[in-house]
Amino acid sequence: MITFKLNGQTVQGEEGQYLLQVAENYGVYIPTLCNHKALEPAGMCRLCTVELFDGRRTKFVTACNYPIWEGMEVQTDTELVHEGRKLIVEMLLARCPDVPVIQELAKKYGIEKPRFETEDNTCILCGLCTRVCEKMGNSAITLTSRGLDLKVDTPFHLQTDICQGCGACAFLCPTGHITLDKINELITTRQPEKIKSEYDVGLKGRKPIYVPYPQAVPNTPAIDRDVCMHFKTGGCQICADICPVNAIDHTMEDETVELNVGSVILAPGFQPYDPSKLDFYNYNHPNVITSMEMERMLSASGPTGGHLVRLSDHQEPKKIAWLQCVGSRDMNRCNNAYCSSVCCMYAIKEAVIAKEHAGDDLDCSIFFMDMRTPGKDFEKFYEDAKTKSGVNFVRSRIHTINPVADTDELELRYVTENGEPVTDRFDLVVLSIGLEIAPELIELSQKLGIELTPGNFCDTKTFSPVSTSKEGIFACGAFQGPKDIPQSVIDSSAAAAAAAEVIAKARNTRTKEKEVVPERNIIGERPKIGVFVCRCGINIAGVVDVPAVVEYAKGLPYVDFVDENLFSCSQDTQDNMSAIIAEKELNRIVVAACTPKTHEPLFQETLINAGLNKYLFEMTNIRNQDSWVHKNNPELATEKAKDLVRMAVAKVARMQPLEESELPINHTAMVVGGGISGMAAAKSLADQGFETHLIEKSDHLGGQGVNLYHTAKGESVSENLDKLIESVRQHDLIHLHLNTEIQNVDGFVGNFQTTLSENGKEEQLEHGAAVLATGAVPYIPTEYGYGEDPRILTSLELDKKFNENEAGLEKINDAAFIQCVGSREPGRMYCSRVCCTHSIENALELKRRNPEMNVYILYRDIRTYGEKEYLYKQARQEGVIFIRYSLDDKPQVEVKKDGISITVTDHILNRPIELSVDLLTLATAIIPSADEKLANFFKVPMNEDGFFIERHAKLGPAEFATDGVYLCGMAHYPKPIDESIAQAKAAASRAVTLLSQDSIHSSGTIAEVDPTKCASCGVCVSVCPYSAPSFAEEGRFAGKAQINPALCKGCGLCVASCRSGAIHLKGFDTDQIMSQIFEMDEAI
Amino acid sequence: MSDREPKILSFLCNWCSYGAADLAGVSRMEYPTNIRVIRIPCTGRMSAKFILAGLRQGADAVWVSG
Repeated sequence: MITFKLNGQTVQGEEGQYLLQVAENYGVYIPTLCNHKALEPAGMCRLCTVELFDGRRTKFVTACNYPIWEGMEVQTDTELVHEGRKLIVEMLLARCPDVPVIQELAKKYGIEKPRFETEDNTCILCGLCTRVCEKMGNSAITLTSRGLDLKVDTPFHLQTDICQGCGACAFLCPTGHITLDKINELITTRQPEKIKSEYDVGLKGRKPIYVPYPQAVPNTPAIDRDVCMHFKTGGCQICADICPVNAIDHTMEDETVELNVGSVILAPGFQPYDPSKLDFYNYNHPNVITSMEMERMLSASGPTGGHLVRLSDHQEPKKIAWLQCVGSRDMNRCNNAYCSSVCCMYAIKEAVIAKEHAGDDLDCSIFFMDMRTPGKDFEKFYEDAKTKSGVNFVRSRIHTINPVADTDELELRYVTENGEPVTDRFDLVVLSIGLEIAPELIELSQKLGIELTPGNFCDTKTFSPVSTSKEGIFACGAFQGPKDIPQSVIDSSAAAAAAAEVIAKARNTRTKEKEVVPERNIIGERPKIGVFVCRCGINIAGVVDVPAVVEYAKGLPYVDFVDENLFSCSQDTQDNMSAIIAEKELNRIVVAACTPKTHEPLFQETLINAGLNKYLFEMTNIRNQDSWVHKNNPELATEKAKDLVRMAVAKVARMQPLEESELPINHTAMVVGGGISGMAAAKSLADQGFETHLIEKSDHLGGQGVNLYHTAKGESVSENLDKLIESVRQHDLIHLHLNTEIQNVDGFVGNFQTTLSENGKEEQLEHGAAVLATGAVPYIPTEYGYGEDPRILTSLELDKKFNENEAGLEKINDAAFIQCVGSREPGRMYCSRVCCTHSIENALELKRRNPEMNVYILYRDIRTYGEKEYLYKQARQEGVIFIRYSLDDKPQVEVKKDGISITVTDHILNRPIELSVDLLTLATAIIPSADEKLANFFKVPMNEDGFFIERHAKLGPAEFATDGVYLCGMAHYPKPIDESIAQAKAAASRAVTLLSQDSIHSSGTIAEVDPTKCASCGVCVSVCPYSAPSFAEEGRFAGKAQINPALCKGCGLCVASCRSGAIHLKGFDTDQIMSQIFEMDEAI
Repeated sequence: MSDREPKILSFLCNWCSYGAADLAGVSRMEYPTNIRVIRIPCTGRMSAKFILAGLRQGADAVWVSG
């Protein structure tokens, strides 16, 4: 350490440091233009000149490159220094009168006009550019010529390929003399391009070292080796020099890691279709964008901050068009014959959000062929988009997008349903691009030896929807077929179950026991609070004055120890904190750092390792909610940090050690419903080694599956179903209960007691988890003459005829199907999802039996999503006639002697036509079993249509909000067999995460009743969404409320609604929150 | 109205608004410093007493979000 005097103050610096660095550390400002911490100083601009007294005499030195020495005395702001600097600034102003940085400096030094003759230069010859170019390992530019002619240039003023166009010189240039355009024009012969941000689909740039996106896990930067200058020239490494924890190692290499595994899951996803191949869409026009680009434009974290603009002139668009099926349902132009499943829904979503952003005046039109919204609650969203949001839906496939000359607008021409040609102009056109499989993936599949479908998706069978053609390899997500988030999440859980089934015996063979530090009893101790303030590198310390916060915290009540950490979350700091807590016998801890949402568990672990109860902890957020959002206001940000620390200290002093109760888990599962879904769930649970009781109310297994003929892939349902039934019957771990009803359910997660009535005999069943697979039934129509004539059937009745191979089917001359019977209309505003595919498959079966037969399908939108689209195409090829009708003009059916007469308005002729058929099949809606009694037993919700409501539409599609209860199959929503089985496996997978544990711990931050204050009013019992409170039935406090710690989620609803103040929320109790509020009076 | 910035006390639900405030930081958005956040487990925990206490302690506005 070297000690010297700086402006009279004694300061210290390390050997080899320059004067400017030490001054900066002590907050002493010295102006400079030519210095950068990543580069060696050069003393070029002379602005940092200071006065040095070496013991004998005074001299002037440049602070940036003057090494410190013991005993020197430095003055940075004397009159002489000031005069000297003023002269330098005056000369710089004369050289560069138009440069803003210099103008500002001049203003600071009170110079209005230089006394010297002015030039019109913009370069101050600071040399930052040449030094950084050398540092980058290029040395493409240097200071050339001498004296008055000195300038920054390439040798011989020639453009050179030595310059890689990295832009570092332009980045560092303080005056704006070097620009990226100048680099292209004068310096490099290469054609450097900006690095595009993958996350913002090229709408924004990014650096070679970058965090891929704000929510990335792990949230650490990565280096893009392809563009990083170090990997091109061997130079730079500035990131490694600057990183305070030496985390960057450029010598790291790719490793080949060999893993010995029992099963493999492929989840490689899709790539968005690239529309630049389709020249007639003019995708190169700035106002023609893809739906992915639109997603980013609408996002608050996107390139325009969520402000919707067109890219040509950054003006708000007034009219936007979405073109559906770009790269999907298209054999001629892109060879993707399948439907991408998700685009209709995302286009509607984008249109609705765009209108939310821009207001009602925004005109949004979606041009489509068939509107495909067959997902749960999608149809309602589509209806609302039409009626409430005012989105226009135009049934037309647009061929060409024509830019309008001399404007930024785009012209679309189309024909309306009435046959009128229309030409319309739009400010922005969004291409709803489809999903496809990347070529690398096709290669990988070949390497692995897995079969692909015609659309290059992973081929799977209907009854094993996540198994590839290779044993032990499973697939999920869009690789298995184009699909949305809920279906992908279902698939992923299903693949996890399937992968676990084959290696179930290995479960828990590699687990390790964790060492437990005994907990110190702190009851009766006076609070001894330890406060740790994190610098988070420069993330916090760059804005908030951390030492000032530390000093401030030292003066707060009960605070015994305060320290700052460079990175509180690093392993060595954690160990150090544990040691300090134990050594100083601290009994309450505050960490002022980032957000408790990500880091609270980590610091709680630190407390546990120090032998302290983890609830004696409070974390306060001085990064995400302070330094990051107030970076231009360091003083007020520091004050805010002090307030936040004070509030946290006040609260933590009132924290008490909390207990987490341990709940044993019963490892048995119960599955309700013996249909395909219920059986698949039971089989998966049993295959994973868990005893399972399968409850079926009828006398046979199979549910609605027994009525079905063929799957969409042409497999026989009965053959596969028989196999499934047999494997369920034979399984050692599956206990079958036929003719069984559920009488009552008691208990909660891990410990249910269910009363069964099997053939009228009562039986108690104890189980840890329950899967509800109660299925659905077909709608029995009252319309279209159903029941009046044996030639009018439902889809399932036709399947039955096929199954029984009924004679006479091949003799039928004319057959018709009517779609959406009871679906997609007021009162049942949902799509039954399977009927389009089912009818088309049956139409093809009729054609197989009699190729001469006339088959008509009367539909509203054909919804053969995914690769089911091929069936639609095949049906048209084989002559099935599709006639579209609308909801307000349904077909009229009349039973006549010689046939069934159907009158329908043909959508092309636009006039009524009459069909006379021998067979009319009604594609009827699917209606949930809606077992309210069961829903009440398990306290699970149902929607207005009677389908169960899952925990989360996207992220929890196979489980309920009630812990320990799961769902699958058509009780959730109508779905085909493959999706039912996937969801059954998903439910099993979710259940196994619970069943495989011996016990679970409830949280410590839960509500507790003080029975002496409870008035037994029952408000808590009625308001709790998790059914945690109940009335005690026996004991001293019978009749008073009690809270089951296993069910309580700690939301505090009961606490707020308790009229007698009898309920406390541990960890967020009234006195604790009040103490934070009371610290407000000093705040702000 | 004077130019004085009002003091705002906010109660944010741990699961939504508190996370959103974190994301505002991750996205490097900027807003004025005159707000103090108290994290609560759910807006269900919110009690009228907290609002009154906040106002009595000198807050000009109390914001509950969840």
